[in-house]
Amino acid sequence: MEAVLRHLNNILELLAVSRTDRVREWDRPTTQRAFKWAEYCEQLHSRYQSNPTVRSSLESGLTDTNRRLKETFPSYSPVEFSELAQCQHKLIVYLLRNPSSPHFIIEMLFPDQNSPSQELLAAQNSLVTRKSAFSLLCCTVNRTSSYYGLQTEPEVRGKLLGKLLNSILARPGNEEHAKCLLDSVRCNSAGKVDGFYDVIAGALLCSSDESQRFIITWLKESDGGLNTFCSVISPEVCAVISRQSPEFRKLYWGALKQWASCLEYDVIESVWVTSEGAGSFDVLADRLRDLINSGESLKEETETALKALTLQDGDFSVKGVSVWTDLTLQLKL
Amino acid sequence: MAGVSETNVQFWMNKAVNWGEASSCSALLDTSRHLGPLRNFLQQILQGLQQMNSTSEAMKTFPFVGQFLGRLCWNSCVTADERSQKLLLRCLSCLYSAEPLNAVERKANMWIKNMLCHLISEEEGSVAHATVKHAGSTPMRYHTEALQKVVSLMVEEVSKSCDCLPNASARCSNSNIHTMSTACIALVTCTQMAPLIGALLKHSESCGSSCLNQEFINEVGEAFISKRLVLEDEAVISLWCQSALSLEGAAVSLLESVLSDHQLTTQSLDKHVNDSLLPQASARHCHIFLTVSEIYRNVLTEIDENLAIRTLIQVFTVCFLQRLTGQNSQDRLPLRAFFPNVMPSLLSPLLTAPSEVPREAWLDHLSWITSLLQSVTENEEEDVRAYQPMFEAWFLLVRCGYWVDTAVELLVLAASGNTEALLWLLTFFHHPTNRGHQRSQQTAVAREAWTHLRMLFLNHPPPPRHLSAVKELLSSSSISANLVLHLFSNFAVFSHGPVSIITEISDKVLTETAVRRRALWILASIRCRLNSASSRDDRVHSRLRTLQDTLLQT
Repeated sequence: MEAVLRHLNNILELLAVSRTDRVREWDRPTTQRAFKWAEYCEQLHSRYQSNPTVRSSLESGLTDTNRRLKETFPSYSPVEFSELAQCQHKLIVYLLRNPSSPHFIIEMLFPDQNSPSQELLAAQNSLVTRKSAFSLLCCTVNRTSSYYGLQTEPEVRGKLLGKLLNSILARPGNEEHAKCLLDSVRCNSAGKVDGFYDVIAGALLCSSDESQRFIITWLKESDGGLNTFCSVISPEVCAVISRQSPEFRKLYWGALKQWASCLEYDVIESVWVTSEGAGSFDVLADRLRDLINSGESLKEETETALKALTLQDGDFSVKGVSVWTDLTLQLKL
Repeated sequence: MAGVSETNVQFWMNKAVNWGEASSCSALLDTSRHLGPLRNFLQQILQGLQQMNSTSEAMKTFPFVGQFLGRLCWNSCVTADERSQKLLLRCLSCLYSAEPLNAVERKANMWIKNMLCHLISEEEGSVAHATVKHAGSTPMRYHTEALQKVVSLMVEEVSKSCDCLPNASARCSNSNIHTMSTACIALVTCTQMAPLIGALLKHSESCGSSCLNQEFINEVGEAFISKRLVLEDEAVISLWCQSALSLEGAAVSLLESVLSDHQLTTQSLDKHVNDSLLPQASARHCHIFLTVSEIYRNVLTEIDENLAIRTLIQVFTVCFLQRLTGQNSQDRLPLRAFFPNVMPSLLSPLLTAPSEVPREAWLDHLSWITSLLQSVTENEEEDVRAYQPMFEAWFLLVRCGYWVDTAVELLVLAASGNTEALLWLLTFFHHPTNRGHQRSQQTAVAREAWTHLRMLFLNHPPPPRHLSAVKELLSSSSISANLVLHLFSNFAVFSHGPVSIITEISDKVLTETAVRRRALWILASIRCRLNSASSRDDRVHSRLRTLQDTLLQT
């Protein structure tokens, strides 16, 4: 283990150096060796990523080294455990971003047909092709049979995330790691809230029961996560997830009730207005309509709940007294 | 600016700008439709850049190039297309200065590196970047899986749009299919795309209307022929149904393989032909059979004495007939549909395989075929109009060459009284017209050769008089050389003398390499017939192999 930690330390130093002007001195063999080390690092990740014990010692090793390197190189950005899986890629990006990197980098990364074969280690052409092909297909093709308005790209990214969570959670003791993973993805999606929750919806739609429960708990526990999720994800997708998961159904209802409680009746205009930027009356009606249209059991459950809420509010049949009465009228139930 | 015209520059610059500004979907589809000419233009730019001595000079000569290439790097259709991507990257590396001399060149270098960085990674802060960064695998693996997933979603989409059709003959109105095929133009050589390409081809064939982008079909056809795309068999047949060009390409490539690969004479040619999928496709789709037949007919009229071509046509026909018989009889078209120009009375006797006729009846069957063919040739002298039916009859005989082989096999052991019809058939096979060939004269030559060969293979040691006579008849100056070689090869395989005689006579008679090669083709056609025979004669097979080995030793 000590040797592994020492190697990890070396690799992080190497990554740090690749961002400085010291890289000017690298020749081809040095650069090739650097890529070999990075490749080794990727193997470490794949071997230990679902082993909680080894992973946590590697993670604490990472934390130490990150701290030390930050002191030496002020521009250094710490490396997270999951990033070890793409060490070569990180090295490539650092070298390309570095004005001092040697000129042979270009032909090493994008070789012509006649380049010597040992240079092909880091060849990037197929990556460019596949990445572009993926985005080309996602942008051009409207799928009529998609998950009710969930775009293809977040659906696929969500599927991959769901698959990763399935594999992590298949081994015991990995919950904390999986939680960190979701936190990191959200944190790195900085500001693009809608896009991020679309991916989460994609993951919810295709993961195992266990992962689904895990994601829902994570949403519930993260500050405002669930509420935001319910407001940015389309009524159709929320209805589909509600059909799949009783837990989500309960939480979703909770969110809808919470929005309803924020609605106040404007007597002069004769409309329900919202005070806190939560869902409007129409939005609420749309979401309920989608629940009712998502199969017999969901229809029954929603109608029963609406009836109970109307009763609770005094069972009036005139407008403007209970939001639930008005929603029931709006939905023509 | 040699080769790069001002109008071209303006046109493509406008395109690149519009692609950057339009909505991504329509811009990408428009790029797809312009990929061919764009590649040509990039090629011109590359050639221009390669002539420059420095990046500064390049930027002075092609002031637009930086902006143009930069915009293309942001167009995922251009970067997904293998050929455009390669050209784009080569242009960028031409602009890169290994030893930058001034600030402009240093700036250009950094710009190029940033472009490359953009090509391989996502924009930081984006959801895409976050999901790749924490994917727990390399970006390469992530994007491969993502592409596979999106491809399977689209395959599902294609199959669903098939299900919605009220019936098979309804026109497919799904414009989504057309859009998908347009988007796929750039992607035909991408391995992960094969299932989607196959699904699109099959969909379009099953809904019987051209809902695919024609350029897509052309690209698929081209990639398939140049072996840059692997498709499953069904998809290949669908492709041929929609692209005559691809079908012709496949037929010609089978032809070329037979003409150029001499190893094929000793391997199982029927397997090679079946591997081309053409027999299967022909049995399923009459129009495919007719197209392939047309190509082989044209080639045959050009080089009618080439034995490799004749053997190929014969083997193709056998493989086709086997596939056709294997089909459900309800789905099967009548034979006449496949041979529309041939006298119907000829079809049944010739298309029946020798293995389906008892051996004792072969002679009668062959006499029947001969008499039918003779009646077709009766008027050839007087009536020009008789030429066409005669040619068709002869072409059918070439396709059903197994009956000629059967006739020659019978000649080897026949008594002299029974040979008339058989010799005529053999002569007609090699000398279909009377013009320049003088069939009656050739029949006499055939009889003469037959007499010599009988003496040669019956006596040991081979009588020198007959040996030299046969050698003379086989010489390249003789117009009957193929006919005599045909007889000779069958004598070698089917005569009853000891095996040692074959080697001895062959060595003495077949001295020229070209003649040996032609003999190998005759043996290949004999072998194919024996392979489909009802019973196997080990003695004959072993003689055949010995003879092949002898001929291969040069």
